[in-house]
Amino acid sequence: MSLEVINSPLLALVQDKGRFSYSSIGVTNSGVMDEYAYFIANSLLGNELNTNIIEIAFSNIIFKATKNTMIVITGAKCEFFINEIALNTWQTYNIKTGDIIKIGKILSGSRVYLGVHRGFIIQEEFGSNSTTLKENLGGLKGDKLQKGDILDFKSFNNSSIVRLKEKYIPNYDEELILRVVLSYQEDFFNQTQIEKFFSSTYTITNEFNRMGCKLDGNVISCEIDGIISEGISFGAIQIPKDGKPIILLKDRQTIGGYPKIGSVLSIDCFKLSQCKPFQKVKFTPISLEEAQSKVKLFYLSCIR
Amino acid sequence: MHFKIASVDSIIIYFGDEINQEVSLKVKKAFTSIIALKDKALIEIIPSYNSIFISYDIFKYDFNSLKKMLETSINFDSLEKQEETIITIDVYYGKEVGFDLEEISKKTLLSIEEIISIHSNKLYDVYAIGFLPGFAYLGNVDKRIKMPRLTSPRKTIPKGSLALADTQTAIYPQDSPGGWNIIGKTAMELFDKKLSTLSPLSVGNKVKFNSITKIEFLNQGGIL
Repeated sequence: MSLEVINSPLLALVQDKGRFSYSSIGVTNSGVMDEYAYFIANSLLGNELNTNIIEIAFSNIIFKATKNTMIVITGAKCEFFINEIALNTWQTYNIKTGDIIKIGKILSGSRVYLGVHRGFIIQEEFGSNSTTLKENLGGLKGDKLQKGDILDFKSFNNSSIVRLKEKYIPNYDEELILRVVLSYQEDFFNQTQIEKFFSSTYTITNEFNRMGCKLDGNVISCEIDGIISEGISFGAIQIPKDGKPIILLKDRQTIGGYPKIGSVLSIDCFKLSQCKPFQKVKFTPISLEEAQSKVKLFYLSCIR
Repeated sequence: MHFKIASVDSIIIYFGDEINQEVSLKVKKAFTSIIALKDKALIEIIPSYNSIFISYDIFKYDFNSLKKMLETSINFDSLEKQEETIITIDVYYGKEVGFDLEEISKKTLLSIEEIISIHSNKLYDVYAIGFLPGFAYLGNVDKRIKMPRLTSPRKTIPKGSLALADTQTAIYPQDSPGGWNIIGKTAMELFDKKLSTLSPLSVGNKVKFNSITKIEFLNQGGIL
């Protein structure tokens, strides 16, 4: 016994960095949607960066601790209580046996992360604890967390706390500009279409989940209807027949046959993952060289 | 071979622009030589009909250095005499599991026996795996039984169902919604957590379907 789920959360999943090297047989990467909030959580806890965590969407989850530990909540701004006392996120808390941890309403952003010191003890499936519901893989029996589930961990007694500096806490309400590396079938979109794509403001629709994010706004047309199915990258922007972009995220299918104009930078997909339907996004081009240096910088600063 | 950026940390290599055995063979050979590198900086390698997608560690390679490395490593000659792996899959082509057999028979004016014989007499290539874990796209199906996808997809296609769509055939490795025509069922596991390879099929393999009786199917653990 360690952390017991007391209520029935809508969508709480055990995740980690993801499941790699099985894409060739159709297994998706999965993994946390927002790596920034995830790495910060593990870094505050003093964990290895790829330690597992709970990703909570649509809020409202209650746990009872049956061992001492240290926890942290990062990601979306939310109501957070320990034994009914409202507390701030992005800092560690020392938990005692019997404590009730509650995450209430999400106030800004859309995914909350709850990590514990040294992570949960769960058998990995194909090198990962990441839960992929459509594949019935990872987590506890391939499923989302249910009332009565028990997440075990090694008990830990500690008295100090660690807090993230205010300036590093993201504001999830800002209009997001997604940097795009033009790629894949870019040559099948003429200059007018590319200019339209980069000058339009798009609205995130309700079709937004761990697989991808469908946008609404100016229609982009492609000279070809479809392509021979091929491997899809994280962040790839598909332009289906209706001309409205779909950005593919962590639980994307491994291959697909829609033309793609380019790919959103991975580190910008993490920010997108904290957006909500009806929020606005824009695209801006970035060269591959610059994109790689930005992404390297992100990972280097996480390690530090 | 044509190299193209896919994303900040991935590339895609094209080996032709149509679906045929020659292109598929090139993909298979290139895939084999890339896998043989055992290069940990190549994170995902996804072969498909005419392409191979690779995501890579950008701390180890950039686009140009990776392209150069792959150009010298990919070898199309060495495997010329490699034996083909043929995987036989037992299928019960019965009406109670092959929901669309009668409809296909009506449309093609072929008897169900003829459809089964045409389908099971061919050796298929595994062109790609995707959509679901272990879902292998096999081709090409004989033109006489070529069938378009259903106009409205089924909400649930049972695990193990053998399906047809256009020039392709496949088995659903798990229960799933789907729009392909169903012509039979196998008791074989196509995505098995107990298998070290997870999936008995990989791109470049060949597949042969073996028609079995209802009794044999049930004896293998098949579910009607």
